[in-house]
Amino acid sequence: MRHITSEGLIDYVDGKVSEREKLAVEDHLMACKDCSELKQELQSLVSRLREDASFEPPTELVQWGVNLFQPVRRPEPGGLPKFIASLVFDTFDQPMFAGMRRVGTPPRQLLFRAGAVDIDVKIEAMEANDRITLVGQVLSGTTKFFDNTPVKLESHGMVRYRTQTNVVGEFSFDEVPKDTYHLSVDLPEGQITLFCVHRANS
Amino acid sequence: MSASKYKSYTDPELVSMCLKGDGDAWEALIKRYRRLIYSIPVRFGFENADAADVFQAVCLKLLEHLHQVKDDRRISAWIVTTTTRQCLHLRGLKTRETTSEEELQEPEDPAINLEELRLVTEQQQTIRDAVEELGERCRVLIGLLYFDSTTPSYDRISEQIHIPVASIGPTRARCLDKLRTMLRRRGFR
Repeated sequence: MRHITSEGLIDYVDGKVSEREKLAVEDHLMACKDCSELKQELQSLVSRLREDASFEPPTELVQWGVNLFQPVRRPEPGGLPKFIASLVFDTFDQPMFAGMRRVGTPPRQLLFRAGAVDIDVKIEAMEANDRITLVGQVLSGTTKFFDNTPVKLESHGMVRYRTQTNVVGEFSFDEVPKDTYHLSVDLPEGQITLFCVHRANS
Repeated sequence: MSASKYKSYTDPELVSMCLKGDGDAWEALIKRYRRLIYSIPVRFGFENADAADVFQAVCLKLLEHLHQVKDDRRISAWIVTTTTRQCLHLRGLKTRETTSEEELQEPEDPAINLEELRLVTEQQQTIRDAVEELGERCRVLIGLLYFDSTTPSYDRISEQIHIPVASIGPTRARCLDKLRTMLRRRGFR
Protein backbone atom coordinates (compact mmCIF):
# COMPACT_ATOMS: atom_id res chain seq x y z
CA MET A 1 0.00 0.00 0.00
CA ARG A 2 1.31 3.41 -0.91
CA HIS A 3 1.30 5.79 2.05
CA ILE A 4 0.07 9.39 1.91
CA THR A 5 2.87 11.94 2.11
CA SER A 6 3.16 14.29 5.10
CA GLU A 7 2.34 17.13 2.72
CA GLY A 8 -0.87 15.40 1.63
CA LEU A 9 -1.85 14.77 5.24
CA ILE A 10 -1.15 18.36 6.27
CA ASP A 11 -3.24 19.62 3.34
CA TYR A 12 -6.01 17.33 4.54
CA VAL A 13 -5.67 18.53 8.15
CA ASP A 14 -5.65 22.17 6.99
CA GLY A 15 -8.75 21.55 4.82
CA LYS A 16 -6.83 22.42 1.63
CA VAL A 17 -8.03 19.42 -0.40
CA SER A 18 -10.94 18.93 -2.77
CA GLU A 19 -13.95 16.84 -1.78
CA ARG A 20 -12.71 13.98 -3.98
CA GLU A 21 -9.20 14.09 -2.44
CA LYS A 22 -10.72 14.27 1.02
CA LEU A 23 -12.70 11.08 0.46
CA ALA A 24 -9.65 9.32 -0.95
CA VAL A 25 -7.56 10.32 2.12
CA GLU A 26 -10.31 9.18 4.48
CA ASP A 27 -10.59 5.82 2.72
CA HIS A 28 -6.85 5.33 3.01
CA LEU A 29 -6.78 6.37 6.68
CA MET A 30 -9.44 3.75 7.47
CA ALA A 31 -7.18 1.05 6.08
CA CYS A 32 -3.71 2.35 7.07
CA LYS A 33 -2.74 2.49 10.73
CA ASP A 34 0.63 4.23 10.03
CA CYS A 35 -0.95 7.06 8.06
CA SER A 36 -3.76 7.35 10.57
CA GLU A 37 -1.25 7.76 13.44
CA LEU A 38 0.80 10.26 11.47
CA LYS A 39 -2.34 12.24 10.67
CA GLN A 40 -3.27 12.32 14.39
CA GLU A 41 0.20 13.53 15.29
CA LEU A 42 0.20 16.25 12.64
CA GLN A 43 -3.32 17.32 13.51
CA SER A 44 -2.42 17.65 17.18
CA LEU A 45 0.77 19.59 16.36
CA VAL A 46 -1.01 21.98 13.99
CA SER A 47 -3.85 22.62 16.42
CA ARG A 48 -1.37 23.35 19.23
CA LEU A 49 0.51 25.75 16.97
CA ARG A 50 -2.73 27.50 16.06
CA GLU A 51 -3.89 27.64 19.67
CA ASP A 52 -0.63 29.30 20.63
CA ALA A 53 -1.48 32.34 18.51
CA SER A 54 -4.30 33.14 20.94
CA PHE A 55 -1.74 33.49 23.74
CA GLU A 56 0.23 36.26 22.06
CA PRO A 57 0.29 39.21 24.46
CA PRO A 58 -0.18 42.72 23.03
CA THR A 59 3.06 44.15 21.65
CA GLU A 60 2.97 47.15 24.01
CA LEU A 61 2.69 44.80 26.98
CA VAL A 62 5.76 42.87 25.89
CA GLN A 63 7.57 46.18 25.38
CA TRP A 64 6.58 47.19 28.91
CA GLY A 65 8.27 44.03 30.18
CA VAL A 66 11.36 44.72 28.07
CA ASN A 67 11.55 48.34 29.28
CA LEU A 68 11.66 47.27 32.91
CA PHE A 69 15.35 46.73 32.45
CA GLN A 70 16.11 50.27 31.27
CA PRO A 71 17.75 51.77 34.36
CA VAL A 72 20.18 48.87 34.50
CA ARG A 73 20.61 48.88 30.75
CA ARG A 74 22.04 52.38 30.57
CA PRO A 75 24.75 52.69 33.22
CA GLU A 76 26.18 56.18 33.36
CA PRO A 77 29.73 56.31 31.97
CA GLY A 78 32.15 56.30 34.87
CA GLY A 79 29.22 55.95 37.27
CA LEU A 80 28.78 53.57 40.12
CA PRO A 81 28.44 49.84 39.48
CA LYS A 82 24.78 48.81 39.55
CA PHE A 83 23.25 45.89 41.36
CA ILE A 84 19.75 44.51 41.17
CA ALA A 85 18.48 43.71 44.63
CA SER A 86 16.69 40.40 45.18
CA LEU A 87 13.20 40.48 46.59
CA VAL A 88 13.21 38.29 49.71
CA PHE A 89 9.80 39.06 51.16
CA ASP A 90 6.58 40.51 49.79
CA THR A 91 3.31 40.65 51.67
CA PHE A 92 1.59 40.47 48.29
CA ASP A 93 2.75 36.84 48.08
CA GLN A 94 1.39 35.93 51.49
CA PRO A 95 -2.05 34.30 51.66
CA MET A 96 -4.67 36.00 53.78
CA PHE A 97 -5.51 34.32 57.05
CA ALA A 98 -8.44 31.93 56.92
CA GLY A 99 -11.63 33.71 57.73
CA MET A 100 -10.21 37.17 57.01
CA ARG A 101 -12.04 39.50 54.69
CA ARG A 102 -10.15 42.35 53.12
CA VAL A 103 -11.44 45.85 53.79
CA GLY A 104 -9.67 48.47 51.68
CA THR A 105 -6.16 47.96 50.36
CA PRO A 106 -3.58 47.05 52.99
CA PRO A 107 -0.03 48.45 52.71
CA ARG A 108 2.36 46.30 50.73
CA GLN A 109 5.64 45.50 52.46
CA LEU A 110 8.70 44.32 50.61
CA LEU A 111 12.18 43.41 51.69
CA PHE A 112 15.02 43.54 49.17
CA ARG A 113 18.56 42.33 49.68
CA ALA A 114 21.78 43.16 47.84
CA GLY A 115 24.86 41.68 49.50
CA ALA A 116 24.91 42.83 53.13
CA VAL A 117 22.38 45.59 52.52
CA ASP A 118 18.67 45.17 53.20
CA ILE A 119 16.10 47.65 51.99
CA ASP A 120 12.72 47.61 53.59
CA VAL A 121 9.92 49.22 51.58
CA LYS A 122 6.30 49.87 52.45
CA ILE A 123 3.84 51.04 49.79
CA GLU A 124 0.53 52.44 50.90
CA ALA A 125 -2.25 53.39 48.51
CA MET A 126 -4.28 56.55 48.98
CA GLU A 127 -7.64 55.40 47.63
CA ALA A 128 -9.01 58.96 47.63
CA ASN A 129 -6.54 60.53 45.23
CA ASP A 130 -5.03 57.57 43.36
CA ARG A 131 -1.60 58.17 44.83
CA ILE A 132 0.82 56.11 46.86
CA THR A 133 3.17 56.79 49.72
CA LEU A 134 6.38 54.84 49.66
CA VAL A 135 8.51 54.70 52.80
CA GLY A 136 11.59 52.61 53.45
CA GLN A 137 14.78 52.04 55.34
CA VAL A 138 18.24 51.08 54.16
CA LEU A 139 19.86 48.71 56.62
CA SER A 140 23.26 47.11 56.77
CA GLY A 141 24.22 43.70 58.16
CA THR A 142 26.50 45.62 60.52
CA THR A 143 25.35 48.24 63.00
CA LYS A 144 26.06 51.01 60.50
CA PHE A 145 23.23 53.26 59.28
CA PHE A 146 23.20 54.69 55.79
CA ASP A 147 22.42 58.34 56.47
CA ASN A 148 22.33 61.10 53.84
CA THR A 149 22.21 58.47 51.12
CA PRO A 150 20.58 59.58 47.84
CA VAL A 151 17.42 57.65 46.96
CA LYS A 152 15.67 58.05 43.59
CA LEU A 153 12.36 56.96 42.14
CA GLU A 154 12.42 56.38 38.41
CA SER A 155 9.64 55.53 36.00
CA HIS A 156 9.57 55.25 32.22
CA GLY A 157 13.35 55.67 32.16
CA MET A 158 13.38 59.05 33.97
CA VAL A 159 14.16 60.10 37.52
CA ARG A 160 10.85 61.39 38.91
CA TYR A 161 11.61 62.00 42.58
CA ARG A 162 14.71 62.29 44.74
CA THR A 163 15.25 62.24 48.46
CA GLN A 164 17.89 61.30 51.03
CA THR A 165 17.92 58.94 53.96
CA ASN A 166 17.79 60.35 57.49
CA VAL A 167 20.19 59.46 60.30
CA VAL A 168 18.70 56.00 60.72
CA GLY A 169 18.58 55.24 56.99
CA GLU A 170 14.88 55.99 56.52
CA PHE A 171 13.43 57.66 53.45
CA SER A 172 9.97 58.60 52.26
CA PHE A 173 8.17 59.57 49.05
CA ASP A 174 4.79 61.00 49.94
CA GLU A 175 1.74 60.82 47.72
CA VAL A 176 3.39 60.13 44.40
CA PRO A 177 1.16 59.07 41.45
CA LYS A 178 0.51 55.35 41.12
CA ASP A 179 3.01 53.85 38.70
CA THR A 180 5.68 51.19 38.45
CA TYR A 181 8.85 52.59 39.91
CA HIS A 182 12.47 51.64 39.97
CA LEU A 183 13.89 52.69 43.30
CA SER A 184 17.64 53.28 43.37
CA VAL A 185 19.84 53.75 46.39
CA ASP A 186 23.31 55.23 45.80
CA LEU A 187 25.71 53.62 48.25
CA PRO A 188 29.49 54.04 48.22
CA GLU A 189 29.77 50.41 46.98
CA GLY A 190 27.47 50.97 44.05
CA GLN A 191 23.93 51.76 43.07
CA ILE A 192 21.26 49.31 44.16
CA THR A 193 18.14 49.15 42.04
CA LEU A 194 14.87 47.69 43.23
CA PHE A 195 11.62 47.32 41.38
CA CYS A 196 8.51 48.44 43.15
CA VAL A 197 5.19 48.08 41.54
CA HIS A 198 1.88 49.41 42.50
CA ARG A 199 -0.87 47.76 40.56
CA ALA A 200 -4.49 48.70 40.82
CA ASN A 201 -5.26 45.46 42.57
CA SER A 202 -2.37 45.40 45.02
CA MET B 1 23.70 43.12 19.10
CA SER B 2 19.97 42.64 18.45
CA ALA B 3 17.87 40.48 20.74
CA SER B 4 17.24 37.99 17.90
CA LYS B 5 20.89 36.95 18.05
CA TYR B 6 20.34 35.83 21.63
CA LYS B 7 17.96 33.06 20.59
CA SER B 8 20.65 30.40 20.74
CA TYR B 9 21.59 31.18 24.33
CA THR B 10 20.31 28.93 27.10
CA ASP B 11 18.24 30.38 29.92
CA PRO B 12 21.11 30.34 32.47
CA GLU B 13 23.35 32.09 29.93
CA LEU B 14 20.74 34.79 29.34
CA VAL B 15 20.18 35.27 33.07
CA SER B 16 23.93 35.63 33.68
CA MET B 17 24.09 38.24 30.94
CA CYS B 18 21.10 40.08 32.45
CA LEU B 19 22.82 40.14 35.83
CA LYS B 20 25.79 41.81 34.16
CA GLY B 21 23.45 44.54 32.91
CA ASP B 22 22.79 43.24 29.38
CA GLY B 23 19.37 44.58 28.42
CA ASP B 24 19.26 42.66 25.13
CA ALA B 25 19.52 39.39 27.07
CA TRP B 26 16.57 40.52 29.18
CA GLU B 27 14.61 41.34 26.04
CA ALA B 28 15.36 37.87 24.64
CA LEU B 29 14.22 36.26 27.89
CA ILE B 30 10.93 38.18 27.95
CA LYS B 31 10.27 37.44 24.28
CA ARG B 32 11.09 33.75 24.76
CA TYR B 33 8.55 33.38 27.55
CA ARG B 34 5.93 35.99 26.65
CA ARG B 35 3.35 33.50 25.41
CA LEU B 36 3.97 31.08 28.27
CA ILE B 37 3.32 33.84 30.82
CA TYR B 38 0.29 35.25 29.02
CA SER B 39 -1.26 31.84 28.31
CA ILE B 40 -1.83 31.09 32.00
CA PRO B 41 -4.14 34.01 32.90
CA VAL B 42 -5.90 33.47 29.56
CA ARG B 43 -6.51 29.82 30.47
CA PHE B 44 -7.77 31.00 33.85
CA GLY B 45 -10.38 32.97 31.97
CA PHE B 46 -9.14 36.44 32.98
CA GLU B 47 -10.03 39.40 30.81
CA ASN B 48 -7.29 41.20 28.87
CA ALA B 49 -6.67 43.87 31.54
CA ASP B 50 -6.24 41.26 34.28
CA ALA B 51 -4.11 39.04 32.05
CA ALA B 52 -1.92 42.10 31.40
CA ASP B 53 -1.71 42.75 35.12
CA VAL B 54 -0.52 39.20 35.74
CA PHE B 55 1.97 39.49 32.87
CA GLN B 56 3.44 42.67 34.36
CA ALA B 57 3.64 41.19 37.84
CA VAL B 58 5.45 38.10 36.57
CA CYS B 59 7.94 40.16 34.52
CA LEU B 60 8.73 42.14 37.65
CA LYS B 61 9.09 39.04 39.76
CA LEU B 62 11.39 37.50 37.19
CA LEU B 63 13.58 40.60 37.26
CA GLU B 64 13.51 40.68 41.04
CA HIS B 65 14.40 36.99 41.31
CA LEU B 66 17.08 36.81 38.62
CA HIS B 67 19.71 35.96 41.24
CA GLN B 68 17.67 33.00 42.42
CA VAL B 69 16.89 31.58 38.98
CA LYS B 70 20.36 32.07 37.50
CA ASP B 71 21.34 28.40 37.90
CA ASP B 72 17.92 27.08 37.04
CA ARG B 73 17.87 25.20 33.76
CA ARG B 74 14.11 25.23 33.75
CA ILE B 75 12.98 28.81 34.08
CA SER B 76 9.78 27.72 32.35
CA ALA B 77 8.79 25.68 35.43
CA TRP B 78 9.51 28.68 37.68
CA ILE B 79 7.40 30.87 35.39
CA VAL B 80 4.49 28.42 35.36
CA THR B 81 4.47 28.19 39.17
CA THR B 82 4.88 31.94 39.70
CA THR B 83 2.25 32.88 37.11
CA THR B 84 -0.24 30.34 38.45
CA ARG B 85 0.25 31.70 41.98
CA GLN B 86 -0.23 35.21 40.69
CA CYS B 87 -3.47 34.17 38.98
CA LEU B 88 -4.75 32.48 42.12
CA HIS B 89 -3.80 35.52 44.16
CA LEU B 90 -5.45 37.94 41.77
CA ARG B 91 -8.58 35.84 41.72
CA GLY B 92 -8.57 35.83 45.52
CA LEU B 93 -8.21 39.63 45.58
CA LYS B 94 -10.96 40.10 43.02
CA THR B 95 -13.46 37.86 44.72
CA ARG B 96 -12.42 39.16 48.16
CA GLU B 97 -13.43 35.85 49.54
CA THR B 98 -12.10 34.21 52.64
CA THR B 99 -9.38 31.91 51.53
CA SER B 100 -6.92 29.59 53.10
CA GLU B 101 -3.97 28.26 51.11
CA GLU B 102 -5.85 24.98 50.54
CA GLU B 103 -8.95 26.70 49.27
CA LEU B 104 -6.88 28.48 46.62
CA GLN B 105 -5.70 25.30 45.03
CA GLU B 106 -8.16 25.15 42.15
CA PRO B 107 -8.91 27.72 39.48
CA GLU B 108 -12.44 29.05 39.35
CA ASP B 109 -13.23 27.17 36.19
CA PRO B 110 -13.65 23.56 37.32
CA ALA B 111 -12.59 22.47 33.85
CA ILE B 112 -9.05 23.65 34.68
CA ASN B 113 -7.06 21.39 36.90
CA LEU B 114 -3.78 22.90 38.13
CA GLU B 115 -1.70 19.84 37.34
CA GLU B 116 -3.25 19.65 33.90
CA LEU B 117 -2.63 23.37 33.42
CA ARG B 118 1.04 22.90 34.31
CA LEU B 119 1.37 19.98 31.90
CA VAL B 120 -0.39 21.74 29.04
CA THR B 121 1.55 25.00 29.43
CA GLU B 122 4.88 23.18 29.69
CA GLN B 123 4.10 21.06 26.62
CA GLN B 124 3.17 24.21 24.75
CA GLN B 125 6.48 25.76 25.77
CA THR B 126 8.34 22.65 24.55
CA ILE B 127 6.75 23.20 21.13
CA ARG B 128 7.70 26.91 21.16
CA ASP B 129 11.28 26.07 22.12
CA ALA B 130 11.46 23.53 19.28
CA VAL B 131 10.05 26.07 16.79
CA GLU B 132 12.71 28.56 17.93
CA GLU B 133 15.40 25.98 17.21
CA LEU B 134 14.26 25.38 13.63
CA GLY B 135 16.17 27.09 10.83
CA GLU B 136 15.14 30.64 10.06
CA ARG B 137 13.08 29.79 6.97
CA CYS B 138 11.03 27.15 8.82
CA ARG B 139 10.62 29.37 11.87
CA VAL B 140 9.33 32.27 9.79
CA LEU B 141 7.09 30.05 7.66
CA ILE B 142 5.49 28.39 10.69
CA GLY B 143 5.07 31.80 12.28
CA LEU B 144 3.28 33.12 9.20
CA LEU B 145 1.13 30.03 8.73
CA TYR B 146 0.08 29.37 12.29
CA PHE B 147 0.86 32.32 14.59
CA ASP B 148 0.00 35.29 12.41
CA SER B 149 -3.52 36.47 13.25
CA THR B 150 -3.80 38.22 9.86
CA THR B 151 -3.60 34.79 8.10
CA PRO B 152 -1.40 36.01 5.25
CA SER B 153 -2.04 34.63 1.76
CA TYR B 154 0.43 32.26 0.09
CA ASP B 155 1.35 35.15 -2.26
CA ARG B 156 2.36 37.31 0.69
CA ILE B 157 4.22 34.43 2.34
CA SER B 158 6.01 33.80 -0.93
CA GLU B 159 7.16 37.44 -1.09
CA GLN B 160 8.22 37.47 2.51
CA ILE B 161 10.34 34.33 2.56
CA HIS B 162 11.39 34.42 -1.09
CA ILE B 163 10.13 31.01 -2.20
CA PRO B 164 7.66 30.26 -5.01
CA VAL B 165 4.03 29.78 -3.99
CA ALA B 166 4.20 26.18 -5.24
CA SER B 167 7.04 25.44 -2.81
CA ILE B 168 5.17 26.61 0.26
CA GLY B 169 3.25 23.33 0.72
CA PRO B 170 6.30 21.03 0.45
CA THR B 171 8.41 23.40 2.61
CA ARG B 172 5.68 23.51 5.25
CA ALA B 173 5.57 19.68 5.26
CA ARG B 174 9.35 19.46 5.66
CA CYS B 175 9.33 22.04 8.46
CA LEU B 176 6.53 20.29 10.35
CA ASP B 177 8.32 16.96 9.90
CA LYS B 178 11.49 18.46 11.37
CA LEU B 179 9.48 19.88 14.23
CA ARG B 180 7.79 16.55 14.84
CA THR B 181 11.14 14.75 14.88
CA MET B 182 12.60 17.28 17.33
CA LEU B 183 9.61 16.90 19.61
CA ARG B 184 9.79 13.11 19.48
CA ARG B 185 13.44 13.27 20.53
CA ARG B 186 12.28 15.23 23.55
CA GLY B 187 9.81 12.50 24.39
CA PHE B 188 6.86 14.55 23.22
CA ARG B 189 3.92 12.69 21.68
